[in-house]
Amino acid sequence: MAEVEQFIRDMGAKIHAKIEKKRRLYFNVSNDDIQEIAEYLFKKMGCRLSTATAMEMYHGIEILYHFSLDKTGQYFCPRVVIKDKKNPKVNSIASIIEGAVWIEREMFDLWGIEFIGHPRMEELLTINHPGTVKHPLRFKEAA
Amino acid sequence: MGWYNKRLAKSLWVFHISGSPCNNCDIEILDLLTPRYDVERLGIKLVGSIRHADVLLVTGIFNQKIAPKIKKIYEQAPKPIFVVAVGTCVSSGCCFKESYNRVEKREEVIPIDMYIPGCPPKPESMIEAVVKLVGVLNG
Amino acid sequence: MKANKIPIGPFHPLLEEAEYFELTVDGETVVDIDMEIGWMHRGHEYISEMKTFTQSIYLVERICGICSTSHPIACVHAIEDIDNIEIPVRARYIRTLVGELERIHSHLLWLGLAGHFIGYDTLWMWAWKYREPVLEMFEIISGNRNHYGMMRVGGVAQDLDSAKVVELYKHLDMIEKKMVMISKAAKDDPVLKSRLKGVGVLSHEDAIAYCTVGPTSRASGVPGDVRLDEPTDAYDLVDFNRIVLQNGDVYDKLVVRVLETFESIKIVRQCLDKLTTVTGPVLNNVKEISPGEGIGRYEAPRGEVFHYIRSDGTNRPIRHKVRAPSYVNIPSFKASCKGIPIADALITLASVDPCYCCTERSLKIIDKNHDPCSFDLLKASREKTERIRREINAD
Ligand code: SF4
Repeated sequence: MAEVEQFIRDMGAKIHAKIEKKRRLYFNVSNDDIQEIAEYLFKKMGCRLSTATAMEMYHGIEILYHFSLDKTGQYFCPRVVIKDKKNPKVNSIASIIEGAVWIEREMFDLWGIEFIGHPRMEELLTINHPGTVKHPLRFKEAA
Repeated sequence: MGWYNKRLAKSLWVFHISGSPCNNCDIEILDLLTPRYDVERLGIKLVGSIRHADVLLVTGIFNQKIAPKIKKIYEQAPKPIFVVAVGTCVSSGCCFKESYNRVEKREEVIPIDMYIPGCPPKPESMIEAVVKLVGVLNG
Repeated sequence: MKANKIPIGPFHPLLEEAEYFELTVDGETVVDIDMEIGWMHRGHEYISEMKTFTQSIYLVERICGICSTSHPIACVHAIEDIDNIEIPVRARYIRTLVGELERIHSHLLWLGLAGHFIGYDTLWMWAWKYREPVLEMFEIISGNRNHYGMMRVGGVAQDLDSAKVVELYKHLDMIEKKMVMISKAAKDDPVLKSRLKGVGVLSHEDAIAYCTVGPTSRASGVPGDVRLDEPTDAYDLVDFNRIVLQNGDVYDKLVVRVLETFESIKIVRQCLDKLTTVTGPVLNNVKEISPGEGIGRYEAPRGEVFHYIRSDGTNRPIRHKVRAPSYVNIPSFKASCKGIPIADALITLASVDPCYCCTERSLKIIDKNHDPCSFDLLKASREKTERIRREINAD
């Protein structure tokens, strides 16, 4: 599709390990580039940030952003891999996209990923929780 | 308390709290008030404050954050109060049994007098439960 | 400036779920709003990793009782997206039929609640009365009033025989007739119009910045609608319109929902027509899910439901992400609630159709010097309606 080709042409140097499927484009970006990619997708192409998914794999913590281009139904999914499992840190995109505030807070809550430059880095779901639930979706050995 | 209960049974006032349900049970409870089932004809009324209530309807698995609040609401209630648990969530935990955020023993949060099973229970079975409760109160 | 804080919640007397809002007010005007969530957190994503693919469909059904088929549809789309699984044509029509019926009952439910919040209880009773036939249709289709359990990877769980289709037609005709009446009562009522016009405006820019979805964004002129943008199931085989309005106020959100209900009735009728002619199986047997990742989405009554599933080739997902539409719509309160009178706050909070309605009644106003005085949001909201009604009748 034209948008995907245009995007790859403009941002080609920053995209690694690309997987193309019907209406889906998954690719890896480095932590330093995620803000630029998000700005390009959101401001220039008019994508909407659907959500972001964090997951813990054996090689590190992955964050997968889902940008949806509503005109064509195309999904752009940049993936940031953090090797440091003890103390994960990523650049925040909340200053570019207002809607990312809650999404990043939730990831901080459930995985303990810290977003650098986030306006309000607090728990979202377990705020004021009386029990001992802390980062429940991390592997138990790693916690 | 026999004479008191008999007077209570004439018109039960109900307060409803939700402790982490999927809110389907709650909607079915509200459904009881609307023209199809209309439990107000049986003298049952949903009230806005726990201090007016005779019956407390609870739904959901009670997550750990909400459990202290439920306890507090129960303590504020005028006694005697009858606690009716609506839905499988309260009785067994439904499909959320493995959740890290669930209160293991819901009976320790508040004492429950009656369970209505079903996910969600049909309005008819809720009405039957109320009728049974009235029967018990009448002795 | 003296700022007061009004806490709302976490328990509200009449409705569904527990939530906590804190409105900061200056006199009569709301200047800021803060929300605390987590009262309903059950850890679906965690539980889902312990269940097989088929089991997790039933699990996601129990995320929300109102959109209890949108989540399963999005979930099976995500699993089918991993392997590009095709489903039979008859199953596509049945999926769309169930999904659209759910939209009718959800919009009716919202309409009733909106009426209730502004003190128009007749509308509440009407809307909920005519919601019952829809639930009856579900009972005919699946055997249950809510939580239908119809979705499977590769198709649907049950077929519809022709005797049932005849019954469904009867109910649908009845619903359509009543809907015309309700929509007249809601859309053209002068009191409702002057009460809701210009209230709680969410501007076009804010709707984009907060990434809102569904009727909330479509009332602000953002045209996104998953059913048309990425047509799955039978949506490319039926004919319906995209409803987009421009003003972004509560009235427009109401009109979007009413018009969408008519579109849904249209779709349901087309599906029923097709179900009488199209024959064939309703379920492709899927043996294995290969390793990979898939994205599935569906336009729920409140907006886009998003599911992401990652599989490693076993029978369980290793990651299952769920994003419900209210999750992105609720932060937009920060934009739409600023600068409006308190009496309008309740209906503005309710206007995105959040999956909880704790907005019902506030407990106390805590003054700056912590002087608690009781204040009733619901009453304020209803009094304003009453005032407008009297003014209109006086003219
Ligand atoms: S019992 Fe079923 S319907 Fe009721 S709250 Fe629990 S999951 Fe929802």
